[in-house]
Amino acid sequence: MSEPTVERLFDEFARAYLRGESPDVPAYLERAGSGRDDLGELIDRFLQAVPAQPATEEEIVLMQSRLEQEPPLLVLRRRRGLSRAAVVDALVSTLGLDRKKRDKVAGYYHELEIGLLDPKPVSAKVWTALGEFLQANVRLLAGLRPPPLGVAKPHYRRADRDLGALYSIEEVRTFVFDTKIESVFSPVPAEPPPVRDEIDELFTGVS
Amino acid sequence: MHDARDAEDQRLLEAGEHSALVESYYGVIIRRCQAKVRYGDPIDVAHDVVVRLLAELKRGRRYRVPFRVVVHQVIGWKINEHFAGAKLREVELEEWMHEASTDGTAPLEELLAGQGFEALLEGLTELERQVVTLRYNDDLDFGEIAERLGKEPNAVHQIHYRALAKLRRSAA
Repeated sequence: MSEPTVERLFDEFARAYLRGESPDVPAYLERAGSGRDDLGELIDRFLQAVPAQPATEEEIVLMQSRLEQEPPLLVLRRRRGLSRAAVVDALVSTLGLDRKKRDKVAGYYHELEIGLLDPKPVSAKVWTALGEFLQANVRLLAGLRPPPLGVAKPHYRRADRDLGALYSIEEVRTFVFDTKIESVFSPVPAEPPPVRDEIDELFTGVS
Repeated sequence: MHDARDAEDQRLLEAGEHSALVESYYGVIIRRCQAKVRYGDPIDVAHDVVVRLLAELKRGRRYRVPFRVVVHQVIGWKINEHFAGAKLREVELEEWMHEASTDGTAPLEELLAGQGFEALLEGLTELERQVVTLRYNDDLDFGEIAERLGKEPNAVHQIHYRALAKLRRSAA
């Protein structure tokens, strides 16, 4: 399929913007293929020429999270004036989960909120429930975890394998904290993993 | 076109609601940075823009231009800084406005025109200007534009395409 023309994409973007929608600039640039720089220039000129649309809730949360060096979901919850317990209760109730397992849900939500839980495998049901309760695109915000402490994302080399390979801090963290010692040093087979329940599946994907 | 927005900005400025004022520009700041920053994280550049604007407002500055002009100027500076790969000398907004109004090369009116819808029409013929204005200022579809200008819709399509191609070339 041929690339859409820069002119057509620009027109689509501009009309959506004027209608008060929030067209996604990176997605348009992606669609422009080799014309991405030209489209970027046109969009930039257009945005300087027309009145600025009010910022979306997601844009406000994203920027506040950068300014405050806090994870976006935490910033969003605080903007709503909600306690973490209230969000967890809403999750348990909306998803129809066993109240006896509330602590487990609270643990997962806490990890999700502070950016320790990978949001990719989290179930759509969780995002829908959170979105309804927090009134924002929570999935989008959870995927925009800022780099820790506002510094450039550090990378570490792992010397035991490919010297050229770079590992992000998340990969190092996963390797250091999630790798069972016995699986590295002991010939004894690791214990069988605990039985996964519905909550594990909701937050870490179907096994 | 900008009057309502400028009036609201002025109200927020006078009320000292600086955070709300800058916050209302987050969307356009993020989008302009996303459009222009090709390497690295555009949100980092957007963050620098917001920090600079908040610092400006904290100093209690009064502007002789609408606040949106200040916003777009700071976005431009920060994007240039990003491309330069280094922190450029921080131009004081007052210094910039003074230069703009007294050195004869860019009077304040010209500066304002450079930030408005007119800037989008630079280099276009009268007919192309009309089509672009009706499309992006008055938000009309091609049929309505054709009717307004007494032309065939196909002809309007072609004029529109030609105008955008010109803008694209001049922007590049």
